[in-house]
Amino acid sequence: MKFPFSPARLLQQGPHIEILISATRLEVDEGRAIGLEYPDMSVRALIDTGASLTIINPEIAASCKLRQTGRQKINAVGGEAGEYPEYAAAISFPGSELPSLDTTRVVACPIIRQPFFSCLIGRDILRKWLLKYDGRSGEVEILA
Amino acid sequence: MATEEKALQKELMVFEQHKGEWLQNHPGDFVVIADETIAGFYQDYESALKAGLSRFGIRATFLIKQVWAEEPIYLIH
Repeated sequence: MKFPFSPARLLQQGPHIEILISATRLEVDEGRAIGLEYPDMSVRALIDTGASLTIINPEIAASCKLRQTGRQKINAVGGEAGEYPEYAAAISFPGSELPSLDTTRVVACPIIRQPFFSCLIGRDILRKWLLKYDGRSGEVEILA
Repeated sequence: MATEEKALQKELMVFEQHKGEWLQNHPGDFVVIADETIAGFYQDYESALKAGLSRFGIRATFLIKQVWAEEPIYLIH
């Protein structure tokens, strides 16, 4: 899947992608059977090779009714260090051929630079992909 | 954030109480705990979630935690 940015835009905003976040497919299917609703949310995500884990804005976890499954210790450049809630989520990539992640861990941490991004796609997801970054042409390619 | 900070406290205490023995038999596995009930150990997070939902139900809260000797600190740059 190729993402044709301009070199200037890639320099300014970094490689980013529209994603759809929701509760895991298991929960959505089971919940629907007993009348529970799990909203999904479309957000812009920065592909961040500097992030060990995938991070979301805490408002997403609340809005999408994500299930908290634990806590993770996060140390961020700029001083935001501490323990933050970990949630189970599903992430899909509308308009692309990238396969959906039906169950993945995300950590809600208020370090996201809104309004530009509500999610950082970290190396936990990148480990499933081949990422090509061409700063000269502005082209970014992801192979899953 | 206060609710999230208080969530799963009992389960985390159970984890700490058993961590020493689990490190011997289940290093790297994901354990599922609800209240003081241990549902089992799984090789990946997805299997652990599936087992937790199956055992405790969709309305229950449960902890999924990987068995490590040292708690990892994840860096965000």
